[in-house]
Amino acid sequence: MFASIIASGLAMGAIYALIGITYNTMFATSRVMSFTAGQLGMLGGVFGSLLMLRLGLPLVLGLPLTLLLCAGVGIVTEFVAVRPVLKSLDQHLYVLTTLAVALLIQQVTAIEWSTEPQPFPRLFELGRDAWDEKYWLPVATCAVTISALEFLYRRTLIGRAFLAVAEDNFAARALGLPERTLRVASYAMAGAIGALAGFSGGQLLLAFFANGQLLNFYGFIPVALGGLGNNRGAIIGGLALGLFQQAANFTVGGIFASVAVFVLFIVVLLVAPQGLFGAPASRRV
Amino acid sequence: MPISAPEKLLTVDGLHAGYGKVEVLHGVTLHIAAGELVALLGPNGAGKTTLLRAVSGLLPWTVGTARFDDVSLCGMSPREAARAGLVHVIEGHRVFNHSSVNDNLLLAGFDLPRRERLARVDEALTSFPEIAAKRHELGGSLSGGQQQMLAVAQGLVRRPRLLMLDEPSAGLSPVLVDRVLAVLAQLRTSGTAVLLVEQLVEKALAVADRVYALAQGRVVLTADAHEQGLTHRLEQAYFGQDATTLIDG
Amino acid sequence: MAMDERVQSAPSHDAPRASLGDFSKGLPFLAILALSMLLPLIGNDYWALIATRASIYWILVSGLNLIVGFAGQLAIGYVALFAVGAYTASVLAAGNVLPALPPFAALGAAGVVSAAMGVVVGLPALRLRTFYFAMTTLGFATIVTQVALGWQSVTGGGIGLSGPSLPAPFDTTWGLYGLCLGLAALCTWMTANLAYSRFGRALVATRDADVAAEANGIAKPHLLIGVFLFAGAAAGVAGGLFASLQTYITPDAFTFDLSLLFFIAVLIGGRGSILGPLLGTLLLTLLPEMAAPLAAWSTFVYAALLLIIVLLMPGGIATLLDFDNRRVLSDNRVILPQPAALGQLLAAARPATGLEMEGVVLSFGGVTAIDGLDLSVQPGQVHGLIGPNGSGKTTTLNVISGYFRPQQGQMTLDGTNLPTGLPVLRAGRGVCRTFQTPRIIGAASVLQNVMVGGTITGRAGFLEAMLSLPRSLRDERAIRMRARLALQAVGLHALENVRADRLQHSELRFLEIARGLMLHPSLLLLDEPAAGLSAEEIKRLGALIKAISEHGVGVLLVEHHADLIFEICDQITVLNLGKVLARGTPAEIRMHKEVVSAYLGA
Repeated sequence: MFASIIASGLAMGAIYALIGITYNTMFATSRVMSFTAGQLGMLGGVFGSLLMLRLGLPLVLGLPLTLLLCAGVGIVTEFVAVRPVLKSLDQHLYVLTTLAVALLIQQVTAIEWSTEPQPFPRLFELGRDAWDEKYWLPVATCAVTISALEFLYRRTLIGRAFLAVAEDNFAARALGLPERTLRVASYAMAGAIGALAGFSGGQLLLAFFANGQLLNFYGFIPVALGGLGNNRGAIIGGLALGLFQQAANFTVGGIFASVAVFVLFIVVLLVAPQGLFGAPASRRV
Repeated sequence: MPISAPEKLLTVDGLHAGYGKVEVLHGVTLHIAAGELVALLGPNGAGKTTLLRAVSGLLPWTVGTARFDDVSLCGMSPREAARAGLVHVIEGHRVFNHSSVNDNLLLAGFDLPRRERLARVDEALTSFPEIAAKRHELGGSLSGGQQQMLAVAQGLVRRPRLLMLDEPSAGLSPVLVDRVLAVLAQLRTSGTAVLLVEQLVEKALAVADRVYALAQGRVVLTADAHEQGLTHRLEQAYFGQDATTLIDG
Repeated sequence: MAMDERVQSAPSHDAPRASLGDFSKGLPFLAILALSMLLPLIGNDYWALIATRASIYWILVSGLNLIVGFAGQLAIGYVALFAVGAYTASVLAAGNVLPALPPFAALGAAGVVSAAMGVVVGLPALRLRTFYFAMTTLGFATIVTQVALGWQSVTGGGIGLSGPSLPAPFDTTWGLYGLCLGLAALCTWMTANLAYSRFGRALVATRDADVAAEANGIAKPHLLIGVFLFAGAAAGVAGGLFASLQTYITPDAFTFDLSLLFFIAVLIGGRGSILGPLLGTLLLTLLPEMAAPLAAWSTFVYAALLLIIVLLMPGGIATLLDFDNRRVLSDNRVILPQPAALGQLLAAARPATGLEMEGVVLSFGGVTAIDGLDLSVQPGQVHGLIGPNGSGKTTTLNVISGYFRPQQGQMTLDGTNLPTGLPVLRAGRGVCRTFQTPRIIGAASVLQNVMVGGTITGRAGFLEAMLSLPRSLRDERAIRMRARLALQAVGLHALENVRADRLQHSELRFLEIARGLMLHPSLLLLDEPAAGLSAEEIKRLGALIKAISEHGVGVLLVEHHADLIFEICDQITVLNLGKVLARGTPAEIRMHKEVVSAYLGA
C-alpha cells in the first residue's frame, strides 16, 4: 500500500504542479490568475482521447496536435478574457472573464464530447503496479517540463524577455520589448503546459469534462503554497499536496482527505498569505 | 506653421496628455534639433515625466502633434519609436534585477540580429567601464548609480538619434552624476541629440545647449543654457511671480 | 449658467422613510410583490413550482448580493452553503443523526450552520486578494459535493434523503409558496435597509476605495463578517426550503451551474443595486423554463452572459434603470464653496492642542525615507509641507495616518499618544485626509460618498440597521444632514445626486475635502489638493482651506503649487531627503537661500 500511496501521490502531485505552472505562466506576463488553467488540463485529456482513441491517430501526431489545440485555446483566452480587462487590473474583472471562458470551455466539452468519463489510451504499455506508466508518466512529464522551462528562462534571450516582462512590465515596454507578443506567447505556452498535465495524467483522470473544475482548485493550492509566479514553489507544493491527499485517501478515506486539504488550504492562506516561498505584498498607498 | 527645418529632429506642438480624467500637459510645444543637448526643467508635478512618456509612446494621447524626423509619433509604440531612433530611459533606474548586466543589455537589443546585438552591447559598455567589469552580475546586485549607468547603457544599445533621460541623477552621489552627465556630453559631440529631465538645475545647465522649463503642464520658459540671469528667471518660473521680489528684497 | 447658490430644498429626501429611499424607489418592489401575490389566482401548480423556486433563489441571492454586489467579493461557489443548508435541514428533520427536530427548528439550524460555514469560507477574504476568495468558495463547493457523496451514513450518498416536510398550512404547493415569498420579501426589506444605511455605504467603500474606507474608520473585517453571517444564514434557510420543495435531495441537485446562476444573477442585475439582482434572479430562473431547448445549454448561456456583461455592460440591469444619471450635466459648472456652512458643520469645539511629531525615523529596507522628523501642527493653522520629489512629504502623511509604522519617534495628537500603524483608528481620533489621487466610490452618488465620511458617527448596530430601527433612522438623518452641510461648504451641493464618476477631476478633490469634514476633524491632511485644478479653482480652494482652519482645525497641506502654499500657510516645513531643511513663516521660507537651492537642485 505504501508504494501505491507514493506512486499515486507523486503522480497526482505532478499533475497539480503542472497546472500550478500553467497558472504561473499566465500570471507572469499578465498579472492575471486565470480560471482556464484547470480547463486546459481537462482539454489535454479530452483532446488526447479524441485524437488517439476516437480518430485513431498515433502518439506522434496526437500529442503535438493536442498541444497545438490547447495553445490555441490559451491564445483565445488572452484575446477574449485577458486583453480587454488588463487596463483595470485592480477591479479584478479578469476573475469574471476567465471564469466565463472556463465555463464556456467546460460546457461545450460536456455537450459535444460527453458528460461521462471516457477512457484514455495507454501510450507505451510500460511498467506495472506502482511503476505503471500512468504513475510515472505525469512525474516524468513534470520533470521534462520544468527542465525545459528552466532552460528557456535561463539560457535564451526570449526566456529572459519573458522574465523581464514578468518583473517590470512598464520598464520592458519602455525598453521596446514586444510585451504584447510575449504575453500572447506565454498564454500559448500555458495552454501547452496545461495540455501536458491532462495528457500525461489522462490514464489517471480519464477524459472527463468535470476534471477542469477539480484541477482548477487542486492546481491552485500549489500556487497558493508556493507563492504566485514561483514555479519551484508550485512543484514542491504540488507534490506535497498529492502525497498528502493520497495518504489521507488511503488511510482515513476520501471525504476526510478532501476536508483536510481544504482546511489546510485555508489555514495556509491565513498564516502565510503570500505563500511559503512568496514575496511580501506591495504597498497600497 | 512652416514645414519644420530639416535639422529639427523632434517637434512637439500643442500636446495635451494625462492619466484618465486628469490632464497633465495642457498644450506643450517644443523642438529639439539633431545633435542638441536640451535640458527640461521644472518643479514637481509640472509634467516632465508625462511629456517624455507621451513622446516615447508609453502614454497614449490624441490632442496635439509630435513628430520625430518628420514622422508622426501619435499612436506609435515605444518599440516602434525605439526602432526609429527615439529612445527613452525611464526614471528610477528600473533595470531588471533578476537578469545579469549582460542580459539587461541584450534585452535592449531584442530585435537586432544576434551578431549586431552582441557588438552593440560591447560598444555600449565602452562608455561605462564600471559596469563592464560586472557584466555577469545580476542587475539587482548593482548600486543605484551603477543601475543608472546600466539604464543609460541600455538606451545606447539602440544607437539612438535622440536619447531622452528622466532624472538620471536621482539618488546618485555627485561624483556619479558627473560621470553620467559626462557621458551625455560625449554623446552629443558624437551627434546624438539628448533631452534631459533633471532636478539638479545647475548641473543640467552646465552640459545643456538649450533649456525648457515646464510648470503646471505648460512650457513657461525657453532659453539658451548659458544666458545671463537664467537662474533668476527659473526661480520665477518655479516659485511664481511674487516670490522673486522677496528673494531679491 | 452657474449653479444656484441657495441650498436646494429636497423635502422628499428628508422624509422619515429613509430606509428604502423614496417611495418611488420602493415602488418596483411593491409591484413585483403584488404580482407575485396575484399568482395563486391565475397560475397552475407548475407556475407555483417555478415561482417558489425563484423566491428561494432570491432569498439566497439577496444575501449573496451584499457580498458580491456591495462588498465586491467574488463568491462564486455559494451553492455550497445552499447545499449545507439543505442537508442540515433534511438530516435534522429526518433524525438520522440526532433526535428529529421539528421542521422549522431544522430550518433555523440550517441557517445557523450555513452562517458559521459562510464565515469560515470567508476568512481568506478578510486578508487576501479577490482571486483567493473566489478560489476558496470554488474549493468549498467542490468539497461539499464530495462530502455529500461520500458521507453515506448521514447524507445518503448518491441516493440522497428526503427533505423536511413542513406542517400545515405550508404543506401545500401554494402554502409553501406563501412562506417562501414572505421570507423573500423580508430578505429584500432587510438587505435594502442595510444597503441604504451606513453599513451598506461602508461595504461599497471597501469595494471601490478600500484605502479611503480604512482612513474613514471602516473596519473591513467586522463588516464582512456581519455580511458573511447574514448571507450564510440566508443561503442555509434557502437550502432548507429548497429541500422541502424538492421533497428529496441528492448531491446532483447542487451542481456548480446553480452556483453560477446565483452569482451571475447579481452581476447581471448590477453591483450595488437590490432591484437589479432581483430582476436578474427572476430572469435566470425563468429563462430555461421559457425556452426548453435552452435547458441543456443553460450554463453556456449563463457563462456567455457573464462575459458579455463584464466586457460590454459592466453596470448590469441597474444601469439601464438608472434614468437620473443619464441627464446631461452642464459643462460649465463652477465650484463655489460656501464657507458660511462651515460654521454649523464645525460648530462644536474640539479640545485641541494639535499634532506633535518627534524624531520620527522610517526606512524601507535600507532606504531612509524620513530621517528624524520633528513636526508640529497647531489647531487653527494651515501648515504647509513642501520639498522636492522624494523628500518624504506623502510618506509623512502616511505615517500620521497610520499606513506606515516608523521605526523610531513619537506622535501625539491633542495631548494623547497617537499609536503608530492602525490607520483604521485614525478617524476616531479626528484625523481625516485626502489622497493624491482622489479615492472615491465612482458608482455612488456624491452625497453618499460624503456620507461615507460619517460612518463612525453612527450608533446603531448592524442588526438595527437591517431592521431599520429608530436609532438607525436617527443616525441616517444626522449623517445626511451633515453631509449636505459639508457639500454646501465645498460648493458641490447642486450635484449631490449625481454619480461621482461623472464629476470632473477638480470636483473630486473638493468632494474628498467634504468627506474629510464629516467628522469635525482635529487634523485634516491634504495631499496635493490643488493638483489638476485651474487657477481660479486654486484660489477658491485656498479660501476654503483657510476658512476650515479658522474653525479650529489643524490643516497639514502637502502641495507643489508654491503660490497656494505661500498664500494660505501660517507655517511651512520644508523637507529634503527626509529631513527638515527649514521651517518658518512663508516670508521666512521665501528668503531662505537653501530652500531655493533645494528646489533648483544646486
